[in-house]
Amino acid sequence: MTEKAIYFDSSKCTACKGCQVACKTWNNLPSPLGTNETKWSGTHQNPADLNGDTRLIITFNELEGDSKIKPVKWAFGRRACQHCTDAPCASVCPGGALVRNEETGFVEVYQDKCVGCQYCHSVCPFDVPRYESNGLLDKTVIDKCTGCADRVAHGMAPACVSACQPNALQFGDRDEMIAKGKEKVAWLHENGYPDACLYGEREMGGLHVIQVLKYGIDAHDQVQDPQAPATAQLTQIIKPVTGAISGLTVAGLAVMFGLAIGYKRDKLAYNPETEDTVSVITGDVVQHGDPQDDKTVMEHITENLPIGKKGDK
Amino acid sequence: MNLSRRGFFKATGAALATTMAFELSSQTQAFASESKQDWKLVNTEEYTNICCYCAGGCGSLLSVRDGELVNLEGDPDHPINEGGLCPKGATMFQLRNVVDPETREVIKNPKRSTRPLVRRPGASDWEDISWDDAIAEIARKVKDTRDASFIEKNDNGLTVNYTPAIASLGGSQENSEEEYLILKMMRSLGVIAIDNQARV
Amino acid sequence: MTSHWCDFQNTDVILNCGSNSVENHPVSALWLEKAHEQGAKWIVVDPRYTRTAEQADIWCPIRSGTDIAFYGGMYNYIIEHLIEPNLAKYQETGDMSEYNFEYLLNYTNASYILDPDYKFDPETGLFSGWNEKTKTYNAHSWHYETESTEDWDTSENGAYAWVKKPGTPEFTTPTLTNPKKDMTLQDPMCVYQQFKKHYSRYTLDTVCGICGIDKDVLELVYKTYTSTAKPGKAGTVLYALGQTQHTYGAQNTRAMSVMQLLLGNIGIPGGGVNALRGEPNVQGATDMGMMVNEHPAYLKWANTTDRASLRKWLESQTYSDGYYTNKPKFIVSSLKEWFGENATVDNDYGYDWWPKVPSETGAVDYTHISTFELMQQGVIKGYFNWGMNPCHSAPNAGNVRRSMANLDWLVVADQVITESASFWNAPDMNPSEIDTTVYYLPCALIYEKPGIILNSGRWIQYRYQAVEPWDQAKPDYEMCDLLWTAICDLYKKEGGANPDPILKTKWDYYVDGKIDPRPVAWALNGYRVAGTECNTDSANPKTDLLKGYAELGADGSTACAMWIYSGMWNNNDAPLDPAEQPLCRRNTEDKSGIGLNSEWAFSWPSNRRILYNRNSCDMQGKPWNEDKKLMEWNGEKWILVDQADFVAVKGDKPVPPNNKTFFMLWEQNARLESYGMVDGPLPEHFEPFESPCDENPLNGAFHNPCAFGTQYASTKQGTKEQYPIVATTYSVTEHWRTGGQTRLCPALVESMPAQFVEMSEEFAAEKGIKNGDEVRVFNNRGSVVVPALVTKRMQPMNVNGKVQHQVGLTHHFGWADLYGTGDVVNDLTPNVGDPNSFTPEYKAFLVDIEKA
Repeated sequence: MTEKAIYFDSSKCTACKGCQVACKTWNNLPSPLGTNETKWSGTHQNPADLNGDTRLIITFNELEGDSKIKPVKWAFGRRACQHCTDAPCASVCPGGALVRNEETGFVEVYQDKCVGCQYCHSVCPFDVPRYESNGLLDKTVIDKCTGCADRVAHGMAPACVSACQPNALQFGDRDEMIAKGKEKVAWLHENGYPDACLYGEREMGGLHVIQVLKYGIDAHDQVQDPQAPATAQLTQIIKPVTGAISGLTVAGLAVMFGLAIGYKRDKLAYNPETEDTVSVITGDVVQHGDPQDDKTVMEHITENLPIGKKGDK
Repeated sequence: MNLSRRGFFKATGAALATTMAFELSSQTQAFASESKQDWKLVNTEEYTNICCYCAGGCGSLLSVRDGELVNLEGDPDHPINEGGLCPKGATMFQLRNVVDPETREVIKNPKRSTRPLVRRPGASDWEDISWDDAIAEIARKVKDTRDASFIEKNDNGLTVNYTPAIASLGGSQENSEEEYLILKMMRSLGVIAIDNQARV
Repeated sequence: MTSHWCDFQNTDVILNCGSNSVENHPVSALWLEKAHEQGAKWIVVDPRYTRTAEQADIWCPIRSGTDIAFYGGMYNYIIEHLIEPNLAKYQETGDMSEYNFEYLLNYTNASYILDPDYKFDPETGLFSGWNEKTKTYNAHSWHYETESTEDWDTSENGAYAWVKKPGTPEFTTPTLTNPKKDMTLQDPMCVYQQFKKHYSRYTLDTVCGICGIDKDVLELVYKTYTSTAKPGKAGTVLYALGQTQHTYGAQNTRAMSVMQLLLGNIGIPGGGVNALRGEPNVQGATDMGMMVNEHPAYLKWANTTDRASLRKWLESQTYSDGYYTNKPKFIVSSLKEWFGENATVDNDYGYDWWPKVPSETGAVDYTHISTFELMQQGVIKGYFNWGMNPCHSAPNAGNVRRSMANLDWLVVADQVITESASFWNAPDMNPSEIDTTVYYLPCALIYEKPGIILNSGRWIQYRYQAVEPWDQAKPDYEMCDLLWTAICDLYKKEGGANPDPILKTKWDYYVDGKIDPRPVAWALNGYRVAGTECNTDSANPKTDLLKGYAELGADGSTACAMWIYSGMWNNNDAPLDPAEQPLCRRNTEDKSGIGLNSEWAFSWPSNRRILYNRNSCDMQGKPWNEDKKLMEWNGEKWILVDQADFVAVKGDKPVPPNNKTFFMLWEQNARLESYGMVDGPLPEHFEPFESPCDENPLNGAFHNPCAFGTQYASTKQGTKEQYPIVATTYSVTEHWRTGGQTRLCPALVESMPAQFVEMSEEFAAEKGIKNGDEVRVFNNRGSVVVPALVTKRMQPMNVNGKVQHQVGLTHHFGWADLYGTGDVVNDLTPNVGDPNSFTPEYKAFLVDIEKA
């Protein structure tokens, strides 16, 4: 079995959001039922960002064009989990909620195993995983694109891909998707889009979302040269040890958590001098640096959570 | 003949999905590994339908279990949309069922109104009414209005058989058979003020 | 659409004009992208840089309401750059390397000689035949000069022997007047010369000034699109409400047709004039003639202008040549299906029972906009809304709800409590003052009932019922039956004003005693009456369905409600099984290789996929494009890929190629100039009802002199001094029309939670408006508060030398209790319209804007 990939051709994407809502309907993800509960973002991009009930959004970016016949560049992007080969989220996940499927290459989600630590959120270079209360599971858990593992297992394409009318989204063997993307980039270079590029072939050890970006990486709100934070790589080494749930590894994780937080924009930050974890918003220390404490990993994790978002034990 | 799987749909238009090998629209073959969760489409029957928005005529595929809709997506065999749906088409499921954000259970869409209602003159709210009463009252009003306004012959003595007092608007949302029944009913009543979305 | 969705892939140049198809007909994107990837050029003419414009190669911004100037400029460009420089050479050598002269000369009326009195006066903007008192035209002088005449041969072996068949109503057969022609195109009164003269005024500079288009961009657009004038090249024009919703909307659509004829783009793969219809079954409703003056299948509904009898009606409707010589067959079969055995030749097949639409000059008009005037006058007392929401969708919606308050009763069949159902509860209405009784009838969803639906490409498809209607919701066909039965019972019991039209109507659409759409499908397809045993028991169904409309008679032997659908449901072996009928075919193998999909569903008429397809071949029957072939004459017979939309065989004998390529017209040639429009034989640029301009540089008339509805005081016309901003309205992908369905879907509301007004950065800066600010948009008719969307995608235009700002509003929200609510944008739009189609002018009007 070869690895699979979702292919996204931004030059054929019409930003209709069929994928965005198909993801929600297939996966039974709710939308607010209160009248006017969702506030308009001010642009066509709604919701403005991913949330625990929205795993995929289409992004809109308006830029100056460079000719009379195309005075505007309206760059459409696809924002969702990119299913990294070197998936830091799966590396740091202590509970087995995020698992890289070695066959498909997709990072699958098992929400029942989520302990609510949000480490995955902190280490994701694409700022993807989100954390929401889930009434069915009766707890607050991580949520992100699963690659529709259930559909794929039954021989169907992911819901977003099936829904895509202009075939901007496709699904297939990763190497074929890369080849298709290279061909399209060449076509775009010949047809007036010199900044077009392929994204996902090598990033993060290779992504399982292969994108053709018509106006280049930044225009489509993608991350230039994404890197796994050093913490995530460390965690991979330490992870077998953390199975023992010792005080020492708790400390290790806390340190790495802090580093990770420093890497991505987040509500928490780590001060390496004091070894404290600090809330960026309030400035309060939410976790004092004390490598020799005797709490369990779980206690540590839940203590580190933003207020009101405590996970279930 | 390249009859597709759904080419074998019979009078009911249904095919029992579970009795057939699953296919993918075109892009890959089934994975060997089994899904870890309960399969959403287990024991469902499939029905084809046509989208209710623009006049693209995109095909949709509905999965039904125990008489209830469990999924709706594009019909991969349909030559116009090849399985794709726009955001409106892709949410047609929600016209009937939505997910409750609190419980994550699938519930009937609470904003859809499924009972006949009447609003009386001067009233500031609706009242419930039975179908029988609603039909009887409307029929009476139609007859009274028609009888009071009906013109059999115009000033030139030409037989015209119309009523100017009743108007009927709409039809592009209905199926063709319904369009004919609405039209036939209205024209036979003598209604001439008939228009529908095609006008605008 | 003269073609169909999958055919877009065959084009060489795409022109979106008045259609934002990628957003509002999203499936178009699949087929347009295919063409684009294969090298097709893509042009979008639109005031805004839309999601469609983003896909295209050229965006050509245009001031709303100036399309005819744009097309007129293109005609002039074609004449100056393609026809005139090459015509003499073609006449000498037959050279068509730049332009398809064979098409122009043989398949259009370019060579026809016009009446000597034909005239256009740019000073007044009026054509010959104008009556200042009635503000209408007499179209006599727009006709052709006659070369010779021919009468129908109704003798026993004649082509029209059916006229004498027993049972056929008597009528005087028409006389064919063969028009005079000049195939050299030099006669000053020939259509081509008059056309050339007319559009010589539409120079690049004039058009740019009117439309607010940059000259380089306009020239590039013309050059790119007219490249399809070469034989074998195809251009497709995609239009929608952006063309039709103007006080000259019908002339806009004619203008596109003329453009396509000049370029040889009609009836070929990848070509056509493609109306992207916006409602799921609006094609079906149009076919059904659910409009004041229309009759099912493109016949006219009977009216009072000298139509005292069926005889007179047949005489006025029957064409002298072409396929509509058969109209008596369609009309009699329609009556026969309507009244069943009560319809006989002796009672004119019940023709008198049909209501006659008042049509004398000055008669009250009963179309959509006018119905609200009639409510105000107390003429209209009762109102049915079938899945339509005029309190939201009709122009000048404030006027609409105030008018509806005069109704005695209102019946709304819908799936939600719409703005119309709750008009008495609108924010600015006082329920205690409104005496209207309102019934809300809950309807079944599309998958809670079975039935037939047509798409824009005329494909007749089937919806299978998947689930039962929930709670007390019912299919509309059941509501109709309940109501009809109750009304009939009242008339049987009590009598009343002439009960005959009601009680003589045939209403027998039951299976096993229950109302059922399948016998209605029989009626639409048509069946033989004489000697037919008919049984609708599901155990042993029996009828005698017609194979196709060729079997229709005018003698009462056949019944058919919709001749163009004949053939869609014709399997007598399983007449109640939709899956066994042509309309349910699901063979995905496309033998044509160009996406005709002839064995998927059924397309009217007679399963033709591309209308006027004879035009895809030259005068010898050879395809203009060998790679994309619809048919070919092989010297002995026609080899058909698509079904012939012309006479390919007569009796058993193949008919060799001729010039009769548009056989639905009596001329059997297409009309560059047409006498069929009420407001002029050639499209001429006029300004919208509310225009920002001081003058119309092309003529002295400024507005369309025939514009409809301008006499109503309720229109409250605003001036450019009061309201200097041009506004237009449109949809977004995530919502649909009045939002009764899309605001019912939480995922859609979440993906587009509000309506907005789009404006340029320059205009916003002038007004001190920031993105997201709530602003008030207002004019004499209304005022709405919406958030501002400030964007590069809207730009100020240079119109006749002045800076003109233009804004656009989406219009999907209202007060109805759904997941999203907002103001009704149609409070702003004017209730005036096109004099041919009576379609309102939603697309160009004036407003002002301030921070709320």
